Amino acid sequence: MSEEKKKKKAMNRLKSMYPLRANIDQAYERSVEATKAGKPTAWSMVNWWEADPILKAMDIEIVYPENFGAVCAAMGKAQKYLDRADAEGFPTHMCGYARNGIGYTAEMTELGHIPPDAPMGGMPKPILLLASGALCDARIKWFQSLGRYLDAPVWAVELPHPGVEESQLPGVREKSIQFMVKELKELVSFLERLTGRKMDWAKLEEIADDLIEINRIWYEINEFRKVRPCPMHSRDFWSCMNASLYPAGDTKVSLKLYRDMYDEVKDRAANKIGAVENEKYRMVFGELPPWHALKIFDDLAERGWNFVVESWAYHAPKPIDYSKISDPLERIATQTYQWLTGYFPDALKEKEYMGYFAYPYLEWARTYQCDGGLFHPLLTCRTATNHLVLAQDRLLNKLHVPSLVAEGDIVDLKLFDYADTMRKAVVLEEMMDHYKQVRQEKGFEW
Amino acid sequence: MTKVVILDGDGKTLSALIGPTGPEHRRLANKVMADALARANLAFSEISYVVATGYGRINVPFADRQITELTCHAKGIASLFPAVRTAIDIGGQDAKGLKIRNGKLVDFVMNDRCAAGTGRFLDVLVGTLGLRIDELGEISLKATQKLPISSVCTVFAQMEIMACLSEGTPLPDIVAGLHDAIANRVVKMIKKLKIEPDVVFTGGVAKNIGVVNALQETLGLNVSVPAEPLLTGALGAALLGRELALKALAEGKPVHEKELRLDEPTFFKVK
Repeated sequence: MSEEKKKKKAMNRLKSMYPLRANIDQAYERSVEATKAGKPTAWSMVNWWEADPILKAMDIEIVYPENFGAVCAAMGKAQKYLDRADAEGFPTHMCGYARNGIGYTAEMTELGHIPPDAPMGGMPKPILLLASGALCDARIKWFQSLGRYLDAPVWAVELPHPGVEESQLPGVREKSIQFMVKELKELVSFLERLTGRKMDWAKLEEIADDLIEINRIWYEINEFRKVRPCPMHSRDFWSCMNASLYPAGDTKVSLKLYRDMYDEVKDRAANKIGAVENEKYRMVFGELPPWHALKIFDDLAERGWNFVVESWAYHAPKPIDYSKISDPLERIATQTYQWLTGYFPDALKEKEYMGYFAYPYLEWARTYQCDGGLFHPLLTCRTATNHLVLAQDRLLNKLHVPSLVAEGDIVDLKLFDYADTMRKAVVLEEMMDHYKQVRQEKGFEW
Repeated sequence: MTKVVILDGDGKTLSALIGPTGPEHRRLANKVMADALARANLAFSEISYVVATGYGRINVPFADRQITELTCHAKGIASLFPAVRTAIDIGGQDAKGLKIRNGKLVDFVMNDRCAAGTGRFLDVLVGTLGLRIDELGEISLKATQKLPISSVCTVFAQMEIMACLSEGTPLPDIVAGLHDAIANRVVKMIKKLKIEPDVVFTGGVAKNIGVVNALQETLGLNVSVPAEPLLTGALGAALLGRELALKALAEGKPVHEKELRLDEPTFFKVK
């Protein structure tokens, strides 16, 4: 065995992460098998639980082109699809997920079957493209394009986006949730017409409750990351978030696996077992990572960087009591609305009006006691970019926590400069050392 | 370029040297150091502490410590201009903005992916103009107008210049336009730091009076340039080395964590 192989890795991955990730990955295989057996599969974008439970309750398999983009990038298989999208005439400054998905779809349509070398067995032809109005408007145009390639209907579920102050006005919450319930009822009617199946309301109750419980446990798991040393790295968060966020995989299996993870993380926290050996810098990560260059987190772990928390958008909502909500559609809508606005009351107290994107960084840098931030604005995505400049400014000026911006893309490795990021990371370390002293002089807790 | 600054215990400069950096530079740090020692009439054993900085800092096996060029620049600049709050460094490979408070680096911004806005931009374009790099500053002072030139891309700028030369545009106007292009690009980048005076300009490009003027005009602020703008990083490294050595002595700790020998890096040698 070479010296390099013998060397212990600086990052200590969670054992419970592997089966959970496998459960997510199996969703692809299951959807391909289902399609072969004549069962329906839908392609869905992340909709923060607003619409997926409906599909699951109607026994429609779901695959997620956004997740597939991340998988292709992480496995080094995205370039072919990006090149194909380029050749189809789509601009290279478009979202990496969209370009990957379009390239894949163009190739599948041309071949008439799933490309044989597609990662995870590929995504089968869907009966439906389920879009979401959550956060990103460009995603809907992407799915409309896919709909033309696949000759499949596109259905968009909308989500109200109240501002921080507006969300606190009387009646806004109730009206927003009622609007979402109406959207979901229309989706149910549409799916019943499309598939000829009837909604299984008892099953929907069960799935809605499972998802609420999954998110509660996932939230609690992430609370353990506030201890020193942090027991779970962002790499494990990203490997497992999809069972909650999308929610990919069987929800009963996911629930069990998240409980196993809770036990492991709790045990690590109690026994001071860190995710990174010699945790020197506790870091917050901004936005989605460069899936094609995840090795950078190993290199940074070698330097004592432990990523203890990451973007709000991919986390579970703050837990609230859903038990008094009898309608499962309203329960689903309330959870999504809670995710979107759960941080607003605190943001308002701190006069942080742009709210949900930037404010959680402030709260988390404080409660997770972060030394610095690494922000990865996506050159191909406005939604994932514009708030990071504000977050960077707020962290430095309110909490004396410096951060580094390393631009890139989730899928397209040509847009990310690995060496330059590592070079600047060393400068950030010197600044983090300096600001640690500043915080201590100013009476901060960390 | 490879630079060495040697200070005495009081912080007085004993030797300062700027040597060429070629393709073999990673092997040559010990030779440049030997030249600097010879100038100061010192033996390596008389050196208390060595700090290596810059892109090649990992290739200096005889250094006690490596510190990034940004921290060293901030230290060196603040020692020369104690009131500095913003520093702009434009070198051959990159352009940096530094926010400095009380002599310390508190924020920074650097170019990435593209060399437009760095010294390389001028290096490439002097060939097209048939000039030497050290002539640019003086020539630009004769300009009657500034030609607007793309600051986005060196290759595009080269094409624009060729077109202007064909049309008979006077050289000073083109050169002044190039300086403006660099100044615009760099100022846009460092605005993120909320530029405050005093502003100091360092790096090889700071030797170009045309770029100094263009920066002052773009910023609307006076810009100071050190007498030797290439040496501020090495000066800062030496000052930090002096501080670290004095701190260790004051605490009764050993100054060196390892035995230092003036060798070339061994990892380039073929076994």
